[in-house]
Amino acid sequence: MKQKVIVIGAGIIGTSVAYYLSKKDVNVVLIDAKDIAAGTSGACDKAIMLQSKKSGPTLAMAMKSAELYKNLEEELGEDLEYENGGGMILINNEEELKVLYEHVQKQREAGLKVTIITGDEARKINPNLSPKILAATWCEQDAEVNPLKTAFAYAKAASKANMTMHLNCKVTNLIEVNGRVIGVNTTQGEIYGDCVVLCCGVWVTSLLSSLHLEVPIMPRKGVILVTEKLPKIINCNILGGSYIVSKLQKEPPEKNPLGIGLSMGQTKSGNLLIGGSREFAGFDSSVNSFILTEIAKKAIAAFPCLQHVNLIRSFVGFRPFTPDNLPVIGEVPTVSGLYIAAGHEGDGVALAPITGQMIAEIVTDQTTEMDLTPFHMSRFFESFTY
Amino acid sequence: MDDLLICRCEGVCMGLILKAIDEGSTSVQGVKKRTRAGMGYCQGRTCQPILRDILQKSIGQNEIEQTQKAQAPVRPIPLGKL
Ligand SMILES: Cc1cc2nc3c(=O)[nH]c(=O)nc-3n(C[C@H](O)[C@H](O)[C@H](O)COP(=O)(O)OP(=O)(O)OC[C@H]3O[C@@H](n4cnc5c(N)ncnc54)[C@H](O)[C@@H]3O)c2cc1C
Repeated sequence: MKQKVIVIGAGIIGTSVAYYLSKKDVNVVLIDAKDIAAGTSGACDKAIMLQSKKSGPTLAMAMKSAELYKNLEEELGEDLEYENGGGMILINNEEELKVLYEHVQKQREAGLKVTIITGDEARKINPNLSPKILAATWCEQDAEVNPLKTAFAYAKAASKANMTMHLNCKVTNLIEVNGRVIGVNTTQGEIYGDCVVLCCGVWVTSLLSSLHLEVPIMPRKGVILVTEKLPKIINCNILGGSYIVSKLQKEPPEKNPLGIGLSMGQTKSGNLLIGGSREFAGFDSSVNSFILTEIAKKAIAAFPCLQHVNLIRSFVGFRPFTPDNLPVIGEVPTVSGLYIAAGHEGDGVALAPITGQMIAEIVTDQTTEMDLTPFHMSRFFESFTY
Repeated sequence: MDDLLICRCEGVCMGLILKAIDEGSTSVQGVKKRTRAGMGYCQGRTCQPILRDILQKSIGQNEIEQTQKAQAPVRPIPLGKL
């Protein structure tokens, strides 16, 4: 009999896991409490940004993931609005230049093609950029993709390969017998399988607690502004330097409690997505007008032509944050047959393909090409403080 | 009937909406994410009640999840006037 794998959560991570599993010779069941991309993957930005990642395991993983994205439209036979248009971090002053220069050197040592360009060179790529921008980093490997389309396309391709899907079906608890998970209880009845993969993003903690396990994943709220449709005015991923610099210099979060920093991109439909904030506020999804104003100010400072552009909507998403900023990927220790792929914080879109591929490998072959040790859940067991 | 325009801002017709319901949408949000209906300039002011009706007729649910969450701004507003 074929191995039967239950995947819980149909965000970009769960649908990716389901898709790469469906390419192996296994039966896949994908379950979501609501719908495909109803969680964080339906309330986020679209950057596959490499140069913002810390060099180390996350950057290595992101670079592999970016490779997988290159052929994904062809592989899935769908338009994912993928664009390998590069990305830049805007530099406003000499101090930011100094810090980002060092950051760029480290990224280059890790094998990333990233450089510092002058303000005028940056304006050649983005002619609407403010004349006040001093310089920018530039990474041609940065890309973007529509996360909604990606999640739907992964689910569709997996369904074609005989995956079964249960939407509006909430897993209430995991069924464990003698230290082994054998299935799940859901609002639509029991579903049994040989293994279970937890891909419930920021909601994973409640399912783990049903087995008396804890993982320190918590919601980090982010607000995004959506403008009316515009002709192409931004030609790549944009990040503001000040937030990255404060992070690299390990400034205390009290200095910027709302974590406001600029991120910008334009969708294929023409809307600008302007972020963002990074806040610990539980699951509060309200938008405070101060945040909107501050983000808008930053966007106008970078692109003065946005002054008169209409904001049509804002939305809130919850990044699945972990204290060491690494996702949790691999076997769940102490319970056999149980796996986890969650906690991708602000990188889940970028890391989705490689996460799916790694989980599919480890679930079916018990081994992966990449070393999963840095992502293992057991890293939290010794010192459990947040 | 399939050519009936439901969301004017995004140019989404009835046929696409029914296809999205066929593919598993059971909520206004689900239809929106699959088709872009309600994502445009007016943010679904006109089409969301219609989408709810279509969903109710097609899948017969009484408790269709309400329209998308109201979120700022109430009306389009220039970034420079926030
Ligand atoms: C404002 C913002 C901007 C971002 N921008 C970017 C970006 O530019 N680039 C990038 O790479 N990343 C970005 N991210 C991060 C990215 O969105 C997340 O890392 C990613 O979406 C997480 O995906 P996921 O599948 O793990 O979680 P989710 O998409 O939240 O999926 C989890 C799913 O599990 C389901 N679920 C939960 N509990 C249960 C249960 N008990 N039973 C059944 N189903 C259940 C939920 O309904 C949900 O559909 C951003 C995030 C935010 C908030």
